[in-house]
Amino acid sequence: MRFKASIRNISTFTRLTASLSLLGKDVWLQLNNEQLRFTVVPEQGSQVWAVLAIETIFETYTIQSAAENNTINLRIPLLALNRALRSALNATSASIRLTKKENVPLLSLTIITNNLTSIRPANSITTTNLNPENAPFPEDLSANDSFAEPNAAGFFPHDRETTITQDIPVVVLAPATVASIHEPVCPQPDVHIMLPPLLQLKAISERFTKLALSTSTSATRDRRAADAPASSSRLILSANAHGVLRIGVETPALKIESKWEGLTNPELDPEQVEGGEEGIRVHASTRMKERHGDEAWSVVRVEGRDWGRVLGVGRLGGRVIACFCHEHALILYVYLSNEDTESVLTYYIASYSA
Amino acid sequence: MHTLSFTLTLEGVVRVHDAVLCLAKFSEVVSLEARKDRLVLTALNSSKSAYASFSLDRNVFFEKYSFSPILTKGQNATDITESRFTCQLYNKALLSVFKGRLGDVRDKDTAVERCECYIQDQPDKTECRLIVKMVCRHGVIKTYKLTYESVEVMHALFNRNAAKNTWRIGAGTLRSFIEYFGANTEQLDISSENGRANFTSYTEKVTNGRDVLKMPLQTSITIDNLDFEDFTVQEQLHIGISVKDFKAIVTHAETLQTSVTALYNFPSRPMQLSYNEHGMQCEFTLMTIGEYRGASETPAPAVVRHASPASAANQPSRQSPAQVTSIQKPTSMPPPTETASRSFTREPQSQRTQRPSPPPPKASLDPESLFLPLDEDEDRVWGERNYDDDEDTLGWNASAKNVSELNDMRKASASSSRLEPYPAWPEDPNSRIAPTQRISDITTLFGD
Repeated sequence: MRFKASIRNISTFTRLTASLSLLGKDVWLQLNNEQLRFTVVPEQGSQVWAVLAIETIFETYTIQSAAENNTINLRIPLLALNRALRSALNATSASIRLTKKENVPLLSLTIITNNLTSIRPANSITTTNLNPENAPFPEDLSANDSFAEPNAAGFFPHDRETTITQDIPVVVLAPATVASIHEPVCPQPDVHIMLPPLLQLKAISERFTKLALSTSTSATRDRRAADAPASSSRLILSANAHGVLRIGVETPALKIESKWEGLTNPELDPEQVEGGEEGIRVHASTRMKERHGDEAWSVVRVEGRDWGRVLGVGRLGGRVIACFCHEHALILYVYLSNEDTESVLTYYIASYSA
Repeated sequence: MHTLSFTLTLEGVVRVHDAVLCLAKFSEVVSLEARKDRLVLTALNSSKSAYASFSLDRNVFFEKYSFSPILTKGQNATDITESRFTCQLYNKALLSVFKGRLGDVRDKDTAVERCECYIQDQPDKTECRLIVKMVCRHGVIKTYKLTYESVEVMHALFNRNAAKNTWRIGAGTLRSFIEYFGANTEQLDISSENGRANFTSYTEKVTNGRDVLKMPLQTSITIDNLDFEDFTVQEQLHIGISVKDFKAIVTHAETLQTSVTALYNFPSRPMQLSYNEHGMQCEFTLMTIGEYRGASETPAPAVVRHASPASAANQPSRQSPAQVTSIQKPTSMPPPTETASRSFTREPQSQRTQRPSPPPPKASLDPESLFLPLDEDEDRVWGERNYDDDEDTLGWNASAKNVSELNDMRKASASSSRLEPYPAWPEDPNSRIAPTQRISDITTLFGD
C-alpha cells in the first residue's frame, strides 16, 4: 500500500479540512486512481460527501494498493490534519505520504521552507510589547554582538532549507468496513436554488439561532445555550422555483424572517437526470415551477447550530446550490470553482418535522 | 534583619513583569534572593523537574540598588558579599503589581515613571512586607504592600563545565518552532544527525485501537546546523525535555530578542537553557529524558533505572499537593546549605554532594538528581493528557483565540479576503445577547 503526493493547493486543502472539522472529528478519505472522496458522517448532525478531482489538491500523485482501482481508505482525525496543513501555508513545497512508525500508520506531511522568519505566523506573540520609543534598552545593543548579521532577533536570512514534518496518526480501513457506509438517498428535490453569499446567510442564520436560543432558554437559565435541545434552535428554510429564499425562526416569543429575492433557480441538465427530457418533465421540481403563492414553497426545518457549521464551507468560496426536499432534507452542492465541476462537496441536512 | 531597597526604571518594570510571567509557567510562588550585587527571582516546579532563574544585575538593571545585611557576631568582611536575604511571594500578587500594560504609552496619563521597592522588616512595624511604589506621571503614586514569607530558597545547580553538548540559536527561530507543535504534545526531543538538528514534539503513544486517532500531531523540525550560532553536539544523541517548559522559556527569550544557549551532557542529566541580556541573566535548568544510542561515548550515569513503574507514577502525585499548597517545608525538603546556595551559577565539582536534593521517597532514586528515575514503560510524570482541549479548533469565526489563525488564513490567500470572519454566537450562557425589546412590548405588538 503506497500513497505519496505533492500538494499543489495548500490553502484549499487547509480550508477544506477546516470546514469538515466543524462537522465531525474524523474524516473517511478514499483515495484511488481517479479521485479523492472526503466523507464525514458524524453521529449527529449533517453529513458531507465530497468528491474532489485529484488535481484540485495534489500535483504529483502516486497510489498503489491491492484493492481494485488502487483504492486506499483512511480514517483521519480532522483537527490534527488541519493543524498540520496550517503549518504549511507559507511553505515552498509540501508533500504527504502514507507511512508507518512503530506499527502506527501515519500520514506524514513534509513541509520545506527556505526562510524561518517568513514561516513565522504573525500576531503570535502575546507577551508584553514595548513601544519602540519607550524601549528599555537601545536597539543598537544587538549591533555590538559578536555576530554581524543585522537582524536583532538573531535570525540569519539564508537559503538553507528547514524541514518540518507533521505526522498525523491514521487508521487504514478495510474495504469491508467502508462498504457498509452509504450515501443518503433522498427523494427528488422540489426546488433547486443558488444560495446568496454564504457569509450573509451565515450571519443571519446565526443571529436567528442566537435569538431562538436566548428566548427559549430564558426559562432554564442554568443551562448552557450550547447544550440546549435541538428543538429550541430550529430555523425554517424555504425556497420556491421563482428565485426566492426565506429563512426564519419561530419561538413562542417571536417570529422573524429574512427573504432573498431574484436568486437563480438552476435548470436541470437532461444528461444528468434519469430519463432525460422526459425525466425532467415529470421531475418534482418541474411541477413546483407551475405552482404559485403558498403552495410553491418547499420547506425544511434545520437545527440552527448545525446549519451554522455547515455554512462554514463558505470559506472555500465555491458556488452553492441548495436542493430542497420538502419536509425531508436539504442538500447543498458546493462547487469549488467556476469551471471545474468535478470537485463538489455534498452536504446532507435532515429536516425536522414541524 | 536586612534592608533592601531598589528602584526600577519603566523598562525594568516591564522586564520584571515578563520574568514573573515566565516564572508563573513553572510555579505559583516566586522566590526572591537579594545579594550585594544582584537580585535573583526563581521558581521551581512542583515535580522539581524544571527550575527557572532570573538574575538581575545591580549595576545594569537597577536605577538604584541597596542591600545592607546586618552582620551578626563572628561574621567578617567576606561574609558581607555572601550575605543574602531570601523570601517567597505569590506569583499572582507580583504579577498583578507589575501589570503588562505598565509599559504601554497609550495610557499616557497613568504611565509609570519608575518603581521603588523596599523590604519592611522592622520589628516595630508590620513585618514581612515587600512595598512596591509605582511612581506615575502627575505625581500619582500607587503603593502595594505584598506579604512575603521569609524562607530559605532552593536553587538548582548546574555544572557548566561538565556539559559537553552546547548550541546557541536566536530565540526568534525557536519561537517559530513552537507554532508548529501540536496543541497537546508533551515531550520535545532534540537530536542532531548529518549536519542537521532535529526538534521533535510528540506524546507517548496511545496503544488501544481507535484512540490512535486521538494522538496529537508529532512534529519534527529539521534545520541546518549552520542556522545555529554555535553547535557542538554529539551525533545522534537524543535528549528530551518538556514542551511546556520549552514554550515558556522561548516565549520569554523572544521578548528580549536574544539568543538562547543550551548546555547539556546526556539524557537524564540536567539541561540548561540560558541567555543574558540587558543585565538580566536568565537560566533554566530542566530535567531531561531519553535513552542512549549506540553512538554514545559518554559513560552511563549513576542513575538507578530499575525503579518500578508504580513508584514513578506515585511520586509526582505524592509530591505535588505539598508543594502547591505550602511553601517548601523544611520537613519535605531540606533547605540548601549555605555552600550550595553560594555556588549558584558555577558549581565546583567538589561541592556536588552538597546539592539540595529532593525528598528521597525511594531508595532507588538518585539522591543527586533533580529528576525522577527513568522508567522502562515510559509512562511518567508529565501529567494527564487533555484530549478535550479545543485550542486547535478552527472555526469560520473570530473568537479571540482564533484571531491569529484567521489572520494567517486570510493572509495566505487574497481570495479569502472577502470572507471576513465575524463572531459566531458565543457558546457561553452568560453572554447571550441582550434583547432589543421587552417581551411585554412584543406581546402588546402581537395583541396577546
